Amino acid sequence: MISLQNVSARAGNFSLADISFDVPQGAYGVVIGPAGAGKTTLLETIAGVVRASTGKIILGGQDLTHAPPELRRLGIVYQHAYLFPHLSVRQNVEYGATGTSVVDDMIERFGIDALAQRSVASLSGGERQLVAIARTLARRPEVLLLDEPFSALDPRTRNVARRILRTIYFERRFTVLQVTHDFSEAGLLGDVAIMLDRGRVVQRGDPAEVFRKPASPYIADFLGAENVFAGTARPISPEPPDWYASDDKEFIQHAVAFTTGSLTFYALGDVVPGPAHAVIRAEEVSISAEPSMSSVQNQFRGTIREIVPVGALTRITVDASGTPIVAAVTARSVRELQLFVGVQVVVGFKATAVHLC
Amino acid sequence: MAVVVAALSSLFLLFILAPVVGLVVAGGGRGISGLAQDHELRASLLLTAWTATVATILGVVGATPLAYLLARRSFRGRAIVSALMDLPLVIPHPVAGIALLLVLGRGSPVGGALYAAGLRVASSPTGIVCAMLFVSAPLYVSAAREAFARVDARYESVARTLGDDPWRAFRRVTLPLSARGLTAAAVVMWARAVSEFGAIVILTYNPKVASVLSYDRFTSFGLSEALPVAAVLVLLALVPLAALRALRSGESHPAT
Repeated sequence: MISLQNVSARAGNFSLADISFDVPQGAYGVVIGPAGAGKTTLLETIAGVVRASTGKIILGGQDLTHAPPELRRLGIVYQHAYLFPHLSVRQNVEYGATGTSVVDDMIERFGIDALAQRSVASLSGGERQLVAIARTLARRPEVLLLDEPFSALDPRTRNVARRILRTIYFERRFTVLQVTHDFSEAGLLGDVAIMLDRGRVVQRGDPAEVFRKPASPYIADFLGAENVFAGTARPISPEPPDWYASDDKEFIQHAVAFTTGSLTFYALGDVVPGPAHAVIRAEEVSISAEPSMSSVQNQFRGTIREIVPVGALTRITVDASGTPIVAAVTARSVRELQLFVGVQVVVGFKATAVHLC
Repeated sequence: MAVVVAALSSLFLLFILAPVVGLVVAGGGRGISGLAQDHELRASLLLTAWTATVATILGVVGATPLAYLLARRSFRGRAIVSALMDLPLVIPHPVAGIALLLVLGRGSPVGGALYAAGLRVASSPTGIVCAMLFVSAPLYVSAAREAFARVDARYESVARTLGDDPWRAFRRVTLPLSARGLTAAAVVMWARAVSEFGAIVILTYNPKVASVLSYDRFTSFGLSEALPVAAVLVLLALVPLAALRALRSGESHPAT
């Protein structure tokens, strides 16, 4: 396990302040944050390469705050492979290995047998990264720190590297902490997500929860939430909104009205009345020709201003009384609903899709 | 514009090259052929070579840790230490010789103690080594610091997480990766030691190193007698120059 308690550290221009989080034994933790957030410094502090000025670093149940890197039983893989250029591929994998058999095993699993005797200078970027991961795993670390190791790889090599790493991870169940700026990767891999910004942990928890309920407009923006609105929130319980016909007690108790521009959204939550931000993921916004009679509490008429295909989905921006609302719908919906720029539609989203922060 | 640049560059190169070529042409043949008969010249070249080698070895052993510290660690007083390292480069070399004489001469407490222990510094090969070390070691420190700085510190970090203690990581990773640069630094130091005159002439006139011999022959017998010694010294300087060029091709270790 990895446990950080109020850790502060400084390395060059980057500093960490009061960092606390836990990644349970055998779990996959993901550190997310923009460039300059201190992600690499965080990993290097856990590794002992950067000294923690305050706080405690507990690895595998032992307080190793002041232990040198070589005694922490961990491995680190950087974005650049940092293969030792004066050694061959095999010598790199052997460097810290616990035995010959594990070297052979890693070389075979990572498919680098043919490269074993080659100089590392002759390898491609993807091959280097595979060798770097093999070298680290050949030491059988109890904690694996990954600093965006796949970001520079082509999609095919990235998938190969991820798959092999996942297989070994499930076999050995070491604890992983991976840095990434790609939230889809975090959602795919992580059991625990830690959002880092300017050297501080700004949110931590289940990745899906962080994705759906970002703690600040900044995080929402960073995580790619298309609809982030500034406005004013006020609790409206115990009075239900006038359009509400159900006798759902829970909704009535926690209903919140959020006003932005000339629109008022209904949301659920316990908020302090006053300025707030509402975050709605585009995937949770639907588009229809007419208002639906379903449980979609927020529905607004508007005009399509922009249609942008992005991968399998199409992002549609609807101008609802001057407020742009983005919806992500399938290409099939675009065809069936005959959506074009200038067409009048109704955008809708549930109160539960509105996250106030 | 291009014509002006070319003309100025050519003039400058000519200014550097003409005296050197003139010296070799005028005295090179006589210097080399005279090596067989001129025992004094042979002895002085040998003395120059071995004292410069000893000074370089002492410099490498003594100054490498300092160069590493300056490249890798930030510590209080680092700027002062760096400035101190530059001091021997900026003070006139005869002044360096006088300063060394003051500390290591028989009349000084250190020099007196060394003399009492049977080690004579002034007017001995030891004095030559000290003078060479003083004026040329800073060049080694500077070049070695650069050599260490060119090796990304993360190689060491990776080696540490792979189980190496600091010394083992240095020996297995940093040293091999900076070896070319360190060797080049040592060659620069050796070449500078061989060419030293000002500090040596104050601390140890006799026995004579090659630079002191050429000066001695010039003042005692004139230009024609000084030429062969000077020409041989110039030819000797070509050896480290060639070594440096070979070492500097293919240096640098970016992240791989």
